[in-house]
Amino acid sequence: MAEGRYVYCIAGNSKTTCLGKIGVEENEVYTIPYQDISAVVHNCPAEPYKSEDKELVKKWVITHEEVIEAVQEKLGTVLPLGFDTIIKADEAEDAQEKVKDWLKEDYQKLKEKLNKVKGKAEYAVQISWDAKVITKKLIEKDNELKKLDQEIKSKPKGVAYMYKQKLEKLLRNKLGEEANKCFKNFYDKIKGCVDEIKVEKLKKEEEPRQMLMSLSCLKDKVNKTLGDELEKISNMEGFFVEFTGPWPPYSFV
Amino acid sequence: MEPVRDWKGRATLVDLLDRVFDKGVVIHADLIISVSGIPLIGVNLRAALAGMETMLEYGMMQDMDIKTRMWEAQHRKNKQVSLMEGEEVVLNMFGSYYYMKGIYNAWKSGRFYLTNLRLLLYQQDIAEIVFETPLDKIKAIAVRREKSFTGKDRDILHLYLEGKKVARLNVLETEQFRQNIERLVRKAGVTLDRQLPEEELDERTNSFLMEGEKVSCKGKMWYLMPKSGIIAETWRPGHLYLTSRRLCWWNDFDKRIVFQTLIDRISGSTVEIKNISPVLKDEEVLDVIYNNNGAKAVASFSGKETDEWKKVLIQLVSGEIKAKEDKDKEKETCPQCGKQASAKELLEKGCPNCNWVSPRLKKKLAQVAK
Repeated sequence: MAEGRYVYCIAGNSKTTCLGKIGVEENEVYTIPYQDISAVVHNCPAEPYKSEDKELVKKWVITHEEVIEAVQEKLGTVLPLGFDTIIKADEAEDAQEKVKDWLKEDYQKLKEKLNKVKGKAEYAVQISWDAKVITKKLIEKDNELKKLDQEIKSKPKGVAYMYKQKLEKLLRNKLGEEANKCFKNFYDKIKGCVDEIKVEKLKKEEEPRQMLMSLSCLKDKVNKTLGDELEKISNMEGFFVEFTGPWPPYSFV
Repeated sequence: MEPVRDWKGRATLVDLLDRVFDKGVVIHADLIISVSGIPLIGVNLRAALAGMETMLEYGMMQDMDIKTRMWEAQHRKNKQVSLMEGEEVVLNMFGSYYYMKGIYNAWKSGRFYLTNLRLLLYQQDIAEIVFETPLDKIKAIAVRREKSFTGKDRDILHLYLEGKKVARLNVLETEQFRQNIERLVRKAGVTLDRQLPEEELDERTNSFLMEGEKVSCKGKMWYLMPKSGIIAETWRPGHLYLTSRRLCWWNDFDKRIVFQTLIDRISGSTVEIKNISPVLKDEEVLDVIYNNNGAKAVASFSGKETDEWKKVLIQLVSGEIKAKEDKDKEKETCPQCGKQASAKELLEKGCPNCNWVSPRLKKKLAQVAK
């Protein structure tokens, strides 16, 4: 089988280093330098790592992340790669040469990206709300809704049903409006605290929770303003914030 | 608020997975290996963590799915038919092959590749070789005009292959195709039969012949359909076939076999002059006498070749009798006493010398006794 190099990340440093057997499946991780950058790799056959065993895959993925973090600590800024990226040899050249070729070819681009993320890290922010709580608040706040809600109680059953339908429809719209408003509001606030934002896809959450926004943010590691902003949001009634990081800048490379 | 990094926490792990499976520096696709098109690894794990349904509902996988499918399709498209070492494509054109397997048959289209070693039909989209034959297995080639389902006539290339197989191929440039195949076959050192194989299958036989069954004689013949219900016996046009197993008659109207008898049931045949209708008088009628489930029955045929058929049938009957006699005469060694005895007797009655009985017969006798 052809040989390959499993690539963890690009480091903005050309030190020839061996990081020891810390790689996926205890492989020896080392650098392949080109000019002032290098690729951090381990040797492997040109065959993807795959398994049905969830725990094993989980272990691999975490190892992948941990290697990148170790490199970060030792060599500074890195551009992370996705799991299972393996550069393969071909008839003309071995995998080592292929990695060098790639570094050479993409040198400018990689260099630019390295400069962009220098000294920064990625943070994941997900903001959700409890739809029940928010609805209740909406009814209290909105006169039209409030009136409708009270009228229902005084109507006979059949008519009440019609009113209820009407109320629900109205509520859905209002809730949507509210979500948009919150999104803009939060987005602006968060934007002020970070260098770059990427809006990610929302995920479905358990009822009655609904995710309002999912962001990847690139920011200075020391700057605490993002945490402060999020703190404020999470203190609002019915709102939840998930805040993870720091991550290698996966979303900004 | 401080960011969290805790591998035991669900949020952290999901966030990591979102990153390592979908993000990171992208490398030119030619440089890296693919996970055979499908990043199952990521899907499985994430699905397990996030709850499969949730993910499907939210279209999380769809996106990836569409991406992978596109990637796959692209690769398939780019995937050329793989050739053997030293193999070179000489001609390559669109065409179709009449595919028959079990009850399924259809024209399957794709690209024909004529190489110095093989002729094959490749379906690019599914990257599958639908039909292939080494050139040296081609025995003869013929172009025949056939009616296509559109009602138009078209030229179909018939390749007679080893093992009496016939492949029917359809291309736009039939003649060019044929010439090139012939040229290459010759180049491969094979001489094509000028004479086409005798056993040429027609559409009818294709539909009723069983596996291994071969047609030894066939011809246009009328058949006297026996009385059925209120319909009196009538003469019907059709085709009579003698195969390695049976004598059967194909009704041109119904397009199916309506009369058949196994050849060892045929006991004789005669040709007589009869009036078969007020108009057709003094016609030769071939009567085939056969054993229909224990009863003697006659099937009547009429046509131009009654005499030839009679000869064939007489030969058949005498051959059958001889074969039967031969079988009776055949000697076999008794497994118990080692003495020679008639094979038939041994199997059907047991050994006349030592009373050995075959296990199969024993079983049978036991059943009868029950």
